[in-house]
Amino acid sequence: MGRPEPNEIVFEIDGREVRAPEGMMLVDAAKRGDVEIPYFCYEPKLGQPVGACRMCLVEIEGMPKLQTSCSTPVKDGMVVTTTSDQVKKAQNAVVEFLLVNHPLDCPVCDKGGECPLQDISFGWGAGRSRMIEPKRHFKKPLELSPLVAIDRERCILCYRCVRFSQEVAEDYQLVFLERGDHTFVGTHHGRPYVAPFSGNIIELCPVGALTSSAYRFRARPWDIEDSGSLCPLCPSQCNVSLTIRDDAKVVRVLARDNADVDDGWLCDKGRFAYQSIHSAERITAPLVRDGGYLREVSWKRALDEAEAALDKAGERTAALVGGQATNEEGFLVQHLLRKGLGSPHVDSASGDVRGPEQARVLARPDLAAKVSDIDHASAVLVVDTELVDEAPILDLRVRKAARRNNARVIVASSRPSALDPNAEATIRFAPGMADAVLAELGAALGSPRGGVGFASRGGSREEDVRGAAEVLRDAEDVVILWGERVAHAERGVQGIEALLALAGALGIADKPESGLIEIPAGSNGRGLREVGCTPRLAPGLQDADATGMSATEMATGEHPALLLVHTDPVEERRERDEWLQALEDAGTVIAFSGFRTDALEQHADVVFPAEAHAEKEGTLTHPDGRLQRLRQAIGYPNEVRAAWWVLAELCERAGAGVGAESPPALTEKVAEAVPFYAGITLDEIGGRGVRWQEREAASSLPAAEQSEEQLEAPPELAPGLRLGVRPSLWGGPEVEHSPSLSFLAGQTRAELSPADAERLGIAPGDEVVVSVNGTSVRAPAAVRSAVNAGDVFLVGDRLPGGSVEVTKA
Amino acid sequence: MQRAGDEGALQQPLPPGWDEAVDVEADPAVIPDPAEVDVPSDLREEIEALMAKYPDRHSATLPALGAAQRVHGWCSNEAIRQVAAVMQVTPAYLSSVVTFYDMLRAQPIGSRYVYVCTSVSCHLSNAKAVYDAIWEEARDQGLEDVELREFECLGACDMAPMASIDGRYVGPLSEDDAPEIVAALREKREVLPGRSLEDKGYKLPWESR
Amino acid sequence: MSELRILTEHTDRDDLHEIAVYEELGGYRALRKALRDMEPEQVLGELEESGLRGRGGAGFSMGKKASFLPKGSMDKFLCCNADESEPGAFKDRLLMQKNPHLLVEGCIIGSIAAGANKGFIFIRGEYSHQADVLDAAVAEAYERGYLGDRILGSDHSFSLVVHRGQGAYICGEETALLDGLEGKRGNPRLKPPFPANQGLYQGPTLINNVETLCCTPYIIDRGKEWFRSIGTEQSAGPKLVSISGDVQRPGNYEIELGIPVRDVIYGLGGGPPEGREVKCFFPGGSSAPVLTAEHLDLPFTYEDMAQAGSMLGTASVIVVDDSQPLVPLALRLAEFYRHESCGKCVPCREGTNWTVKMLERIDEGEATPMDLEIMAQVQENIIGNCLCVLGDSMAMPIGSMIKHFREEFEAHIAAARERRQLEEAAAFSAGELAATAEAGPA
Ligand SMILES: Cc1cc2nc3c(=O)[nH]c(=O)nc-3n(C[C@H](O)[C@H](O)[C@H](O)COP(=O)(O)O)c2cc1C
Ligand code: SF4
Ligand code: FES
Repeated sequence: MGRPEPNEIVFEIDGREVRAPEGMMLVDAAKRGDVEIPYFCYEPKLGQPVGACRMCLVEIEGMPKLQTSCSTPVKDGMVVTTTSDQVKKAQNAVVEFLLVNHPLDCPVCDKGGECPLQDISFGWGAGRSRMIEPKRHFKKPLELSPLVAIDRERCILCYRCVRFSQEVAEDYQLVFLERGDHTFVGTHHGRPYVAPFSGNIIELCPVGALTSSAYRFRARPWDIEDSGSLCPLCPSQCNVSLTIRDDAKVVRVLARDNADVDDGWLCDKGRFAYQSIHSAERITAPLVRDGGYLREVSWKRALDEAEAALDKAGERTAALVGGQATNEEGFLVQHLLRKGLGSPHVDSASGDVRGPEQARVLARPDLAAKVSDIDHASAVLVVDTELVDEAPILDLRVRKAARRNNARVIVASSRPSALDPNAEATIRFAPGMADAVLAELGAALGSPRGGVGFASRGGSREEDVRGAAEVLRDAEDVVILWGERVAHAERGVQGIEALLALAGALGIADKPESGLIEIPAGSNGRGLREVGCTPRLAPGLQDADATGMSATEMATGEHPALLLVHTDPVEERRERDEWLQALEDAGTVIAFSGFRTDALEQHADVVFPAEAHAEKEGTLTHPDGRLQRLRQAIGYPNEVRAAWWVLAELCERAGAGVGAESPPALTEKVAEAVPFYAGITLDEIGGRGVRWQEREAASSLPAAEQSEEQLEAPPELAPGLRLGVRPSLWGGPEVEHSPSLSFLAGQTRAELSPADAERLGIAPGDEVVVSVNGTSVRAPAAVRSAVNAGDVFLVGDRLPGGSVEVTKA
Repeated sequence: MQRAGDEGALQQPLPPGWDEAVDVEADPAVIPDPAEVDVPSDLREEIEALMAKYPDRHSATLPALGAAQRVHGWCSNEAIRQVAAVMQVTPAYLSSVVTFYDMLRAQPIGSRYVYVCTSVSCHLSNAKAVYDAIWEEARDQGLEDVELREFECLGACDMAPMASIDGRYVGPLSEDDAPEIVAALREKREVLPGRSLEDKGYKLPWESR
Repeated sequence: MSELRILTEHTDRDDLHEIAVYEELGGYRALRKALRDMEPEQVLGELEESGLRGRGGAGFSMGKKASFLPKGSMDKFLCCNADESEPGAFKDRLLMQKNPHLLVEGCIIGSIAAGANKGFIFIRGEYSHQADVLDAAVAEAYERGYLGDRILGSDHSFSLVVHRGQGAYICGEETALLDGLEGKRGNPRLKPPFPANQGLYQGPTLINNVETLCCTPYIIDRGKEWFRSIGTEQSAGPKLVSISGDVQRPGNYEIELGIPVRDVIYGLGGGPPEGREVKCFFPGGSSAPVLTAEHLDLPFTYEDMAQAGSMLGTASVIVVDDSQPLVPLALRLAEFYRHESCGKCVPCREGTNWTVKMLERIDEGEATPMDLEIMAQVQENIIGNCLCVLGDSMAMPIGSMIKHFREEFEAHIAAARERRQLEEAAAFSAGELAATAEAGPA
């Protein structure tokens, strides 16, 4: 498909000659000639123009009627007038009609001061209303969901919110009800509009009809300031603008449109979880275990205790780094361990299992895709990841590619995906068996590395694989979004090989707009690997001098000192019982954390208060290689200090100072240590980020060759139920500690196939017990037609691997 | 008997949801999993056959809702859930369609209908009086489970004033016809035999040919 | 009288809907000719040159519209607009109920001209009997091989589905019809893109009215010259007119366009009841601006109606006699458009609703002559500014009523005010009496 490159044309508007790309909508093209045409319903991000508000009417030479400039593409030689009497009359008329049913309650409206309707009425209206009849009345405001309130009197029925729901998020929960002048925005049967992206409608609404329940009346436009940053809560790393009140409080999060990252959308977690920043439950001072309890202590005491413990444990220290840690933090942790303490035992919380050579191959720029490649791909293959939970904004991106550019979507996953309805082909496989399907797909597309007959061993239907291969064979550019889960499976190493074989068969390395994007388990999974937070790789994906313990191995180890940076493995990792034991057995547990968790409460010896994301400086690396900047927007509460500072201090005390006194200096240190980041500075990263693959230093990535070995056939599937464990978007302490999101937190579900449900006597909604080797959790059951018989998915909770049983509670 | 509102079809009472907050405790209405919804098999088959008639299954929406309305008497929550499960669309999508079209009932206002045309040509022929007469009769006789409403032009101005009774066009009507219309409806008899457009040999009173 | 019997030649029969009867009377002969003796381009050419104009309202050349569809092997669609919901129109009902095979044959011929392979008849849901009749006819046509793959052994394949609406006038607007057919709320779409390029399911689509398509078998059978020989240069062919309102013999009549309006209203419709005169009439359904008695001698054609400031539209003549007060009629008309406005675009949604409110105030004695001025301006503000022409369809007739009958509106305003003042005064004194009674000794 590729990207269309439009011609430049010249047209005339209000007597001026203006250049614009051919086909650009007239409203946008007019701006190039400094002509502002008012509009309400136009929003190109929502898809095709609807032409509903009629505010943008203009006169075009040769056309008998006024035309909507939002839907008229410019052509060479077009002559446009926006100032004629006819246009003015129409504009006055539309404004007057809009105000026929719009209340004049601007002084008490949240939108006041930042309201397009207010501005346009002032700029283009006749300044009077001749309507004296009673207006349409609604009660106001009403709840539309726990997050969004609706004031229907203010609504101008511009279609923006419903188009978002229907054509962008595709949740199709928000609709127009009734018709004509009775039309109103609503949901089915009084149900709440609860969907992963619902909050975007607040930003889209051009009037004060849709407001954030959390933000309502919290501030007026004149006592707030904006601060650009990014959201580190998932790998999508959306760009955000934080609304700061009185320099101290985050009161709102808005999207900061970056077409290379997020298209200007946010998920509700990113939009509303800011509330956790100001939670009263946050740890805001250093804590040390004293008399059995964690007590607030001075920084000096906490640092001294940590120093002593690390000093004592030395090379036997182990460190685990949470997925949200910045590149700088990750770099410092591995530096502290490797250089300060002489310990090789550092890993990221998700645990890195791939081989060093695999890691380097996967990092190759020629195999990489960038987010915007999804838009123009002819096929998008989603492998073993549920984007809406794991990188939500990319779920929207795939939907957009399919809807707007006819990309053909293929979903290969064990758990049915929210993208299935958009997919032209779907392949189901048993949990953990991605390698079988990938190998078979590769073979079907001509990979010499074998794989024929593998898929059925992975629990898939041959014809599904053939259907998918058909689509891929016809495709020019293919983007593969694959979940790190593939690598974490028991056969993860083979999974990566199979993926690389498929990439080879598709010729991805030779197609600049084709490529892979890995969806890591942690927000900064990619960055942490690249700065050396893995047991086998030093910064820059170079072989580490010594191989350390992996996260899985740490769980069963005995550690004189255990450093937990922004992670509680008991809350995050599948083998929770083992970790609980590991914490209990550890000599000293030193943690960085924003909140007290059960495990920390019981076993931590030193806890450093972690900054919230709005308080933090540093960089993250997006799954597509874009380094982005997290910027501090507000000061630290109470005793909180930057984690990088604490880590640098510990390095210093361990005799391995990094010599960086400020965040920019530290970023420069990271760039020195990672050859393919060489020379990157915070300034260069700026507000939009920079992909390292597009810089010259990219060539310093250590060379890596793909293996050519034959792929190993998977064993036959074991009988019995097979368990897949899946995160929910609504996990994590940020959700739990944000009052307006708490209704979504902690929801778990066991998803079964209709056949298994029937066999086990389980009805939808029944409480079931899911257990693996004696460890069990309870969850309500959901029966899903698209789940393969034999598969069970535990969503929003964790259990270790092993043979699983499900029983009615 | 139920009717849409005192002033007839043209000034309906507030539709459901107009002035109500949602139930914030409830689950959102997502596409129901077919495994979780019981659908009468006749209805399921009818909807599946409808979907097969079109290049895009969504085209079956209007007839599918019509079919569900026939089964349930109106487009109830349950009816919509069933259609949603078979068609794999969201209930909100269906609700938005239901509330757009005059013949789909979003409220339980009767499983049969009497649409009295009071639009332009019928208005000129004093249709409002006919409607009022039927309404009063219906009240007096205690007619139940019938949606009686004024309707926009039914495409039968030659028969003005006229009404459609479950699709059977009858006319020209006068106020005197009201008792018989209501009685026939109550007794589930054919309404005004011989006076419907679909009756064999039907002629307008002034037609000679 | 100047009545024709072409489309309606056999519609008095009770069995014309049976395929055997239809065939016996010459039915499907044109289809055979089109498939066996003509190339698709010839069919298209014949239609284009016959002068057949759309019978659904806009009067656009049928053949020309069909020629706008791109060539090629993609799916192309033909949609027959059988929504007929405009007040005053009921001609398509007659054709569908009495002569369904004529429409089926017309659809197939239309599909040959347009190269369409899939067809839909969008019929308003209220016409349930007619839809049943069409369903049966379509089934018969499939049985006889007139529909389906490789029709009558030719290369042409065409499927046809009868699609029932669920009650919305706006679905008669061609793009709203497409949305309704796609299972959505019937909202008009922006044009361009035009349906000929991106219509149903985004594919090329030809949309024609029932009567338009019903003319095509005759054109193929008897030739374009024959068709042109009927009517006038710009208004060729037979035309059904639906006459209703204040006339003695309302009904459908088939005529040759070009006869004087008087012949239609008086000659066919029998004129207003004894002792009444024509006050005004809508020559083309309720959306056409009204004309008055002085226009009775104009020829009834597309061009003359347009010249007089109105339109032929669907040729549905609604007659209003001199006993009818215009304000309630205008109100009823505005209520129709308010009720039927889809609500998508601002001027139509708010303009229709505002107009109703103004007319209600006039009727209730709360308006002044200045309000009449505002109302007239509101109509002007609607016209040309909406997404489709539904808004204009109210604004034009209301505007025309104010234009032709301003004095009556003014008199109505004055009389209603006076009545209201009297009522208020009466209510006031009644209230005073009651108040004194209450305050007085028990
Ligand atoms: C509000 C509105 C309602 C309409 N209703 C109908 C209708 O019921 N039947 C019809 O054939 N055309 C109707 N039309 C006209 C159609 O948009 C379209 O022009 C017509 O179907 C084209 O067919 P024709 O060229 O054969 O006339 C309507 C137009 C508008 C704006
Ligand atoms: S609620 Fe806001 S965004 Fe939605 S239609 Fe109304 S004005 Fe537009
Ligand atoms: S912006 Fe063009 S019609 Fe709304």
